[in-house]
Amino acid sequence: MLWHRRLGLSTFVVLIFLAISGFALNHSPGLKLNQINLSSNWLLDWYGFEVPLAEGFQVDGKWFYQDGNKALLVDGHNAASCTAPLIAVAQTTDGFFALCSNGLNLLNRDAQLIEQFGAIDGLPPNTQAVTVLDNKIYLTFDSTTIDSTNIDAVIMEFNAHSLELKPAQIAPQTLKDMRQAAMPLPESLQKTLKEQSSGPSISLETLILDLHSGRFFGQFGVLFIDLIGLLVCILSITGLMGWIKRR
Amino acid sequence: MLKQLYRAALLTTAAACFVFTSMASFSVNAKGVYQSGPDFFAEVFAQQQAESKVLWLTPEIRSQAAAIVGHPVRGLRLRYHQSDNKTAWILEEIGKEMPITIGVVVEDDVIQQVKILAYRESRGGEVRYPAYTAQYKGAALQEDYQLNRNIDGITGATLSMWAVNKVAALALYYHAAVNQSSATHQP
Repeated sequence: MLWHRRLGLSTFVVLIFLAISGFALNHSPGLKLNQINLSSNWLLDWYGFEVPLAEGFQVDGKWFYQDGNKALLVDGHNAASCTAPLIAVAQTTDGFFALCSNGLNLLNRDAQLIEQFGAIDGLPPNTQAVTVLDNKIYLTFDSTTIDSTNIDAVIMEFNAHSLELKPAQIAPQTLKDMRQAAMPLPESLQKTLKEQSSGPSISLETLILDLHSGRFFGQFGVLFIDLIGLLVCILSITGLMGWIKRR
Repeated sequence: MLKQLYRAALLTTAAACFVFTSMASFSVNAKGVYQSGPDFFAEVFAQQQAESKVLWLTPEIRSQAAAIVGHPVRGLRLRYHQSDNKTAWILEEIGKEMPITIGVVVEDDVIQQVKILAYRESRGGEVRYPAYTAQYKGAALQEDYQLNRNIDGITGATLSMWAVNKVAALALYYHAAVNQSSATHQP
């Protein structure tokens, strides 16, 4: 009888938790638990979500990046439409050139959109890079999209005023060395980007379900809940035995 | 009897599959780029010598354009082709979610042609049919910057139709803006 009491006391807190969480799960649709999303960093880390660091290009002290949706942001300000990925950003003395998969955005020195040069205006598909050398703008294309016999990448010089492309005699490697790679955004921009966009999240229902079943704490959590279940069985048997004995 | 029933069921399934796939392929066909910008200009000015020009969108033009389309316009300059009193424009406007690329030809302040160059949405692509776009021929801009005629809609393509209407009015406005600026520049 002493053991029955000891077991009862030791499982008391867990049993109350299991009862309440079970009640919540039973009424999850009514309580709309599946519509409450949690996205705190430690929780996402715990669930193994890799929150990728957003990347961008820092040109002339300005950060150019894609918002994960359809906009090109320059230091947090929506500058133009841009379908991911943002491939490259380059600058001349006139302004900036941001290449997205849907076209080349021409921006002035204040990063305001002047115009967009897209496929409909004659930009060949699969444009791979925009590079500026000696204040001239070069676009690199996947050669197969222009001329299937040519194996090397095709480089064209781009006229930002007439939007014309003409073949350029320049070694691809020279331009490759000039290119800037994408870098992780500074923390302040990461934070605002995260607040604006809808990243991964976990519903409250999932969290309660995982706590209730012990899965939240991995294999040991499940074993622990199993053990509690076993103890409840033992408790009910010892309780019944004690009741019979007293009679 | 069972055999007959089985055969009928098989036939119905096959027919349903056929109808479904043909419907799916039809809606896929509605999407696409029908004509590139350079090709459109070349077709419009096949007989004439046209010049490629740039209209800088001044704050005045931008605010009026925003009033016409109902949202701020993007970009600081706009490319068009001109030959005498005829201008051709390629403008984009979002139908429901995706932009529709529309070519508009204006001559003497009246629309001569509207052509859908690229349609990217899965529904409402009927606006690209010539029977629909022909309605815009001869339309002009009223004082309230609306088209001076009623355009018959297409069921299921209302948003796309609104987008085409806005772009048609915008092209007429830009045409007028071009003529006005060239008139003031003349000595």
